[in-house]
Amino acid sequence: MEGLGINVPTLIAQIINFIILLVILYFFAYKPVLKMLDERSRKIKESIEEVQKVKEQAAQTEEEFKKKIEAASKEGQEVIARAMRTGEDVRQRALQEAKQEAQVLVEKARGEIQRERNEAIGELRQEFADLTVVAAEKVIEKSLDKEAHRQIIDKVLDESSTLKKK
Amino acid sequence: MSNKKVGCGCIGCSIPLLTFIILLVVIVPVSIFGIINGAFGKQYIPAPEVKLPAEVIFHLGPLPVTNTIITSWITMLVLILIAFLVTNRSKLIPGRLQGAVEAVIEWMYNFCKDVAGEKNGRKFFPIVTTIFLFVMINAFMNLVPGFSSILAKTGEGTVSLLRGANTDINTSLALALISFVCVTYWGIRANKIGFFKQFFNFGRFFRGFADLFRGKVKSGFGGIGFGIIDIFVGILELFSYLIRIVSFTFRLFGNMTGGEILILILFFLLAFAGFGAIQVGYAFEMLVGVVQALIFSGLTLVFATMATTPHEGEEHESK
Repeated sequence: MEGLGINVPTLIAQIINFIILLVILYFFAYKPVLKMLDERSRKIKESIEEVQKVKEQAAQTEEEFKKKIEAASKEGQEVIARAMRTGEDVRQRALQEAKQEAQVLVEKARGEIQRERNEAIGELRQEFADLTVVAAEKVIEKSLDKEAHRQIIDKVLDESSTLKKK
Repeated sequence: MSNKKVGCGCIGCSIPLLTFIILLVVIVPVSIFGIINGAFGKQYIPAPEVKLPAEVIFHLGPLPVTNTIITSWITMLVLILIAFLVTNRSKLIPGRLQGAVEAVIEWMYNFCKDVAGEKNGRKFFPIVTTIFLFVMINAFMNLVPGFSSILAKTGEGTVSLLRGANTDINTSLALALISFVCVTYWGIRANKIGFFKQFFNFGRFFRGFADLFRGKVKSGFGGIGFGIIDIFVGILELFSYLIRIVSFTFRLFGNMTGGEILILILFFLLAFAGFGAIQVGYAFEMLVGVVQALIFSGLTLVFATMATTPHEGEEHESK
């Protein structure tokens, strides 16, 4: 024992050394480090979970967004279709109105023409009567020849009939 | 020496021959220098003296402060300093030092958990890790250059001021006693009286007598016979349990002292032999330090795990 150097005070001193080291390291190394490691692993787990959550949320949002876009595009299509229909309607109606108006105009023009024609005929008759009177005067002034008289009247009548015919 | 080695590589001979030549190249100068040192070198280098007991530097009250105690204080200081440095500025995203320390602690923690399970691992971890760190840093202390060159004048003469704490048998004995006490304490806590049953197993012996009195002669004698075996096995167990203190102590002490002596001898023999060989010895001693630390703490852990596992299963098997 002596040769190896075992002695009780040194032994006890080393035991106490070890215990002091153990206590200090326990409170200043193991505990905080293990706590830190636990905390870190917890944080990492949390952040991974959060990332997962965010990813899911993003996917969901994207899905929603897609749906919304689809709906919007459908709606837009519908609106366009409706607008086109409305436009067609308007065009049709305008066309019809135009046609009607044209009809009316044509009708009116026809009426006008008829009226003007009648007026012209009336005027013509008036003129003709005047002419007849003038012609009669002239005939009377001249030697009133029976034969010539008849001829003139016939001629006038003929002329008038042709006028009337027209 | 190194020139010869390079020259040999150019010859282009077979591998066994090459190995032999290299060995020759290494061994011959070593022996030559050894002889030179032995014969003439003594006038340049003092022959190494090996002293097993640690030298007392001064007295602190009743405590003789030896150079190994001073070294173990330095070791403690180093460990505590590192611990403070790391945990004072502990951050969630670790720096280099924090990462390294945390890696060591986590590695030890996982080691404890793997061997002893979640609950016991947490319980054994502080002592096992402290043993590991203390033994390892103590072993590395030996290897700090100039470590044992600082001399101190004492009443006994001029001795090294510092000496690796593991090379003092008191240190390894202290660690062995702590390990032993802890293992026993954990064993008793876990198995209550069952812990002692593995050493003092008289149950079957007395049951045999009882059977004999009841008239069951055959089972009675059988019981006594197996009972004697049980008692004998118990005594063996007890001895192997107690002898662990000694084996723990001398394993660490022997390895560390041997390592120190090896380096001392290497220095003495190869002082003129150039560089390389001593560095190999240093590297080897570093490995030995880690391995011894791991063995000491690992064995403590394994014995603690063995002591805390219930012994009922074994008894049922033997019945």
